[in-house]
Amino acid sequence: MCGRSAGIAWVEETGTQRADRGRSETTKIVCISRGSHGYGIELAKKLASRLGYACLAREALTDEATAAGIPVGRIETAIVKRRPLTEELEIAVDRFKAFVTEALCERLVSGDRIIYHGRTGHLVLPGISHVMRVRAIAAMEERIRLAMTRMNLSREKAKRYIEEVEEDRRRWVKTLYNVEWDDPALYDVVINTQHLSVPNAAAVLTEMAQLPEFQPTPASIQAVGDLLLAARCRTAIGRDARTAMVKAAVRAEMGRVSVTYLPRHAAQAAAIPDVLEKIEGIKSLICTVATTNILFLQEKFDPDSEALGDLIDLAEKWNAAVELVRLSAGEKPAMPDSQPLPVESGAREYDGGILEDDQAEPSSREEVPGLAETIDRLIRAGRAGGVRTLYGGPQELLQNLDRSRECSLIVVGDVFLKQPEMVRRRMTRDLIAVLAEKLRIPVVESSALKARYLFGPRQILALCGYGLAALLIYLGVFSFQGDVIAFLTSPGTLGRITAAAAVGVATPLVAWCLGGFYRNVLRLIRME
Amino acid sequence: MAGSQFIDLNWLAALQVVFLGFIGGTLSGFIGSGGAFFMTPGMMNLGVPGPIAVASNITHKFGKALVGSKKHGELGNVDKKLSFFMLITSIIGVRLAVSIMKVLFEGGEHEGAGGGAAANLYISLVFVFFLLTVSLAMLMDIAGSRKKRSAGPSTKIVSFLNRLYLPPFIRFEVADVRASLWVVLIAGLGTGYMAGTIGVGGFIGVPAMIYVLGVPAAVAAGTELYLAVFNGAWGALNYAYEGLVDIRLTLLLYTGSLVGIYIGAYGTKVVREVFIRLVTALIILLCVVSRAISVPIYLQQLGYIKLDPSYNPILNMISTAVLYASGIAGGGLILFFVFRAYFQRRRVEASLTRTPAVSGAAGQTA
Repeated sequence: MCGRSAGIAWVEETGTQRADRGRSETTKIVCISRGSHGYGIELAKKLASRLGYACLAREALTDEATAAGIPVGRIETAIVKRRPLTEELEIAVDRFKAFVTEALCERLVSGDRIIYHGRTGHLVLPGISHVMRVRAIAAMEERIRLAMTRMNLSREKAKRYIEEVEEDRRRWVKTLYNVEWDDPALYDVVINTQHLSVPNAAAVLTEMAQLPEFQPTPASIQAVGDLLLAARCRTAIGRDARTAMVKAAVRAEMGRVSVTYLPRHAAQAAAIPDVLEKIEGIKSLICTVATTNILFLQEKFDPDSEALGDLIDLAEKWNAAVELVRLSAGEKPAMPDSQPLPVESGAREYDGGILEDDQAEPSSREEVPGLAETIDRLIRAGRAGGVRTLYGGPQELLQNLDRSRECSLIVVGDVFLKQPEMVRRRMTRDLIAVLAEKLRIPVVESSALKARYLFGPRQILALCGYGLAALLIYLGVFSFQGDVIAFLTSPGTLGRITAAAAVGVATPLVAWCLGGFYRNVLRLIRME
Repeated sequence: MAGSQFIDLNWLAALQVVFLGFIGGTLSGFIGSGGAFFMTPGMMNLGVPGPIAVASNITHKFGKALVGSKKHGELGNVDKKLSFFMLITSIIGVRLAVSIMKVLFEGGEHEGAGGGAAANLYISLVFVFFLLTVSLAMLMDIAGSRKKRSAGPSTKIVSFLNRLYLPPFIRFEVADVRASLWVVLIAGLGTGYMAGTIGVGGFIGVPAMIYVLGVPAAVAAGTELYLAVFNGAWGALNYAYEGLVDIRLTLLLYTGSLVGIYIGAYGTKVVREVFIRLVTALIILLCVVSRAISVPIYLQQLGYIKLDPSYNPILNMISTAVLYASGIAGGGLILFFVFRAYFQRRRVEASLTRTPAVSGAAGQTA
């Protein structure tokens, strides 16, 4: 077993011991996010050697993706050269992300144990709790020294090279996943190789990999299956000539696949059901045309609720798909007594999340009262955008939401239901504030949906108020044109200052009133 | 002083200004960068002196930006730090533009050269030179990107500036870029000057932010709009102080533009990005042609060329016709796509549903 020696070094164990232990008790995948010349590769290789895992570099998957026809090089060029991505490249980005996810999930399903290292190592398998996400960093001076030695550069050039590569990689992460590369909240552990040697860092990670927190649970195994199924569907859509140019977002939960695509791709997207027909494990498929998404966060779903009706109305107005996100605070399925799941090699537990009917576990759809009916109502309205379950509180929610997917609104429904009423209100308010601040999209309570976005008595009042105010201003100006012009061209400094002040006040007032009037008129005719 | 330069507004003229505002607003919502390139020359063709057209338009832009930037702010598309740095020099640019305009306008009056012909000529030449460059660059870029299948506009400027390495650099968190302070200040100055001169600061501010600083398009549009609040306010106050703002024109522009913006923005959801760029480039090019046709009128009024004054109304009519043709064609095209999508949406049921594994049926609704 491992143990400390003299407080610094770790006692080495034999390769066989390591491999045996790795196979029986440790997490199956470690993802290392690394920077340029930051000892990330060395750490990955050392850790792979200690655990007896295969070491997989991002570059290997990039080569595979390029061979599969995904223009990864063009994506990189566009990002490095700071060009905005065209729709074609955005589709290529989606395909590439799905390709990487599929490749990693398939390795997991086939029983491989891997150390994956690359710039987005911590992001490629979102929502899988038994993935250990590691960030390897090193002191800038050390990195410069390493770059000077390896690339035979001067100090200044080496420094600039590292800064530029770092910036490119940061942009890559931001473009693909819309998160900050160096956000520590996205990692389980950050290893600073300045303070910890690579062998000792590998030893620490070996120990960490055995912790219960990184062991597979039924939920995380299911999540791997869902990710794999969604990725397979997305890559199949990208591979098929009929649907290759459809900008599609795919979600899967418990074998139920939902695909959303833009209205302008409706003709090509009609072939999606045929394209996905041969993919195993699909229990149902919903294809929804939508220009954007609305997330609906709830703990419990009521298909007959007024909030859902309002949400469907809004989704119809915005041509949006509604993605149901079931928040399950503190209900994360875990192994009994927090013991690691006895994982054997083979694909049995990783069955793609799709169990045979005779051994099927109750799905979240069936377990949660009202969820199935809610989904059915959304399907009937043509607004279904998929369903997923997220465990934990606001932080877990933030970590696991796909920020690269376009979303116009988050609606927070009934959450924190186990809390007393007042506490529930405060927590809901806090959740809304956190989501709005971090995600920078409007977040509203479901009860406020009607007042904010739909047309009701309040909007009629606003329409009349704004319209009347604008009318009065217009009548005033155009009935007394001569006086207004005389006022605006008043001689003398005081007259000029007064005229300028009047223009400065009146202009935004008119814009506000008239803008409010038009906004409500367009809302009335459902054209937003 | 300027009161005599304000036009008499009859119903026809008022309707035309509303129309200019509507097309300008639609284009503005569609391309995300002000519609002044259409509204300013349109008003000049109606007989509004150039400085008053610019002043009324920049005042209109102030209120519009105030409303629009609030929405962008809610969506997290405004980098206030970047706006602040650009604002430092952009207010200098606006003031510079107003001063030049004031000198030319008063000079024109003194010479009796058709109520500020010098200012009109100056505005028209800046308009033609700058927007011709923009439209041709856009067209070449579209052609180039189609041929090379590349992601977007040329990055030669970015590469050049990167090679220059001009410290100090500032990190802008919302825009997610690190840029040289000098480049930011120059971009601000250019934005302010163009906003003050022809009211199209966005045409220099937004591309500068996207292609020179590397700011994402949505943040560039939001930040420019935020900057336009201050630029517009500063320009409006300066021009109002000089007695050049015709508030009637501003109100009429609002009548059309505020509804046009919503429709144009709706259009971006249903039209391909390359088509948006193509329509924009062609409309700008036609606006440039329209303005170029007017240049001989001002040259004649200033006595720089010998031209029978009886040709002036004809040239003005042709200029107006080209401008309106570009606006009607561009606006009409956008409206066509918008309303087609709007009514299609009502017809098409969104979901295609089937359950192959469970029922074996490939059900779908369309």
